[in-house]
Amino acid sequence: MKLSTKTRYGLRALANLIGQDGCCSIKQISKNEHISSDYLEKIFSKLKKAGILKVERGATGGYNLNCDPKKTTLKEVVNALEKAEFICPDFCSCQSKSVWQKIQSGFTNVLSSITLNQLVDSKTKSVYLDYAASTPVDPEVLNTMLPYFDFSYAGNTMSLHQMGTSASQVVETCRQSFANILNALPKEIIFTASATESNNTVLKGIAFANKSKGKHIIISSIEHDCVLESAAWLKTQGFEISQISVDKDGLLNLDELKKTIRKDTILVSVIHGNNEIGTIQDLASIGQICHDRGVYFHTDASQSFTKVPLDLSKLNIDLLTASSHKIYGPKGAALLYIKTGTKITPLLHGGGHEFGIRSSTLNLPAVVGFTKAAEIAMANFDQENARLIKLRDYLIKNILETIPDSHLNGHPTDRLSNNINISFDRVEGESLLLELDYYGIAASTGSACSSSSLEPSHVLLAIGLKPEQSHGSLRFSLGRFTTKSDADYLLKVLPQVINKFRALSPFKS
Amino acid sequence: MYTQKVLEHFRNPHNFGSMDNPDALGQVGNLACGDVMKLYLKIAKNKDGQDYIEDVKFETLGCAAAIATSSVVTDLAKNKTLTEALKIKNEDIIKALDDLPTIKIHCSLLAADALAEAIYSYFQKTNQPISKELEQLHQRIVTCQTRLKH
Repeated sequence: MKLSTKTRYGLRALANLIGQDGCCSIKQISKNEHISSDYLEKIFSKLKKAGILKVERGATGGYNLNCDPKKTTLKEVVNALEKAEFICPDFCSCQSKSVWQKIQSGFTNVLSSITLNQLVDSKTKSVYLDYAASTPVDPEVLNTMLPYFDFSYAGNTMSLHQMGTSASQVVETCRQSFANILNALPKEIIFTASATESNNTVLKGIAFANKSKGKHIIISSIEHDCVLESAAWLKTQGFEISQISVDKDGLLNLDELKKTIRKDTILVSVIHGNNEIGTIQDLASIGQICHDRGVYFHTDASQSFTKVPLDLSKLNIDLLTASSHKIYGPKGAALLYIKTGTKITPLLHGGGHEFGIRSSTLNLPAVVGFTKAAEIAMANFDQENARLIKLRDYLIKNILETIPDSHLNGHPTDRLSNNINISFDRVEGESLLLELDYYGIAASTGSACSSSSLEPSHVLLAIGLKPEQSHGSLRFSLGRFTTKSDADYLLKVLPQVINKFRALSPFKS
Repeated sequence: MYTQKVLEHFRNPHNFGSMDNPDALGQVGNLACGDVMKLYLKIAKNKDGQDYIEDVKFETLGCAAAIATSSVVTDLAKNKTLTEALKIKNEDIIKALDDLPTIKIHCSLLAADALAEAIYSYFQKTNQPISKELEQLHQRIVTCQTRLKH
């Protein structure tokens, strides 16, 4: 018996198939595991012959398990894929024969002691549930980007020669694509290097361009740090900042907004889908209020872009931020939508790129990748968001049911399709996070103890949590590669982890 | 971020749990970082007639550093006389853990405070003289904890 690539790929493919909880096509597994579909076809036909797999016909057809993964051992899989090959033939009586026999039986013992289910559940399992922090680059996106590192696109988009022109044409195609997605004009789309840059440009650019009208800026109490910090800096420059509160679900207090807008208010900036608690704001209502009062309205849609429909022709939005690395595009690319006629000062002065709003040689491959990522996400918009919402609600329901004294943070339905944020009484987030990491689960926490400051999350405090509740909160953010089996794995591990630390806690229920 | 020692104590803490009828109890907490530590002592006389820590247990709500410092302070205190135990400083705790990130130094202070508080309460209960130094330490800890809720 020997082990070859066939076995390695076969086991990987089987583990992936088990993770899908049901029938799966060769094409899908090939994509998930990066194994060529021809090669997989060969492996699967052998596994089928051995009775480990079966073929299901029909629209949702493909391969499915034909055995109980709790009982089937790796030995059966290896036997099906590899020729039984003894080092010494039976008649051989060489001196090393017993050594090889021992190795052979060792091999067999190990392989028969591990079932397919154990293979999937082993501690080496890795479940990434921090997609809101950043996403992996989709392989298709990467492939689309690669040619743009080529010499033929080496030119600066501002250069007049052929290479500069072809680079510039590519950028304009990308701009057009985003204009189509957002229902805006191409010249209203500016490419930047990050959502942080886009948000800084909005706050500082609007402030300095409109200070003759006024020096009052309104933000919400649950903005991302880059908006909060920009606003705090503007305060040092003589601007006045008001923060609008949110209710217990994280929805903006619209009456307070109406009352806070003054004659000298120049900008209202409210995050669309909150990065911590996932609450989605009513952009139509906020936009209408700002429009009626003649105040610019900006929204940071870094988390919500491609998760919530955004038709800029229908919403009264003057400025919008979206980011590439949250949607399976590369890091280092983002956009800023600026409605025609908006008065804004650039943050970066120089060669006049991006209609003079953002000087800097464009990162062409990143822009191309960002565009491709957005196109893929929009093409699968309905299907993928419906899948995520189902998975999200399945997890929320089961966590709240199985773990006592746990509470959902954020709005139950007006919520990003991939966001789960839950507080657990009598435990602390950082220890939970580290312990989950031992089980291969990557999540995030609103606890101050894991960050560089000791202050609890301002978002959780804003929705009325006590500091001790905010310390015990975890965020799980789902994504394109999260499966039902990942969710079930979390549901299996999380109660154990919470119980471990509750047992350690001096506070009892 | 954390040393191997911190992670070992965090994953497999020593002497954790509550104690029935402890001779002394010290509870300290710092809600700014969400850490609360409770230390239980069982005190006996050694053959020289001195009070010593026969057994010690802890319960902690807090981050990995808080759990690790609690665990290590129980190791350091066990079988020490109360006089020796009072000499355990937060630097000793950090040293026993092979270091702590700067932002987590306060966790080691908390662990040292919990031990001092437990011994203080025992001295009070048994009407033993309390040194000026220990009295000052106790006053500082109590002032720090006005925000603590039980």
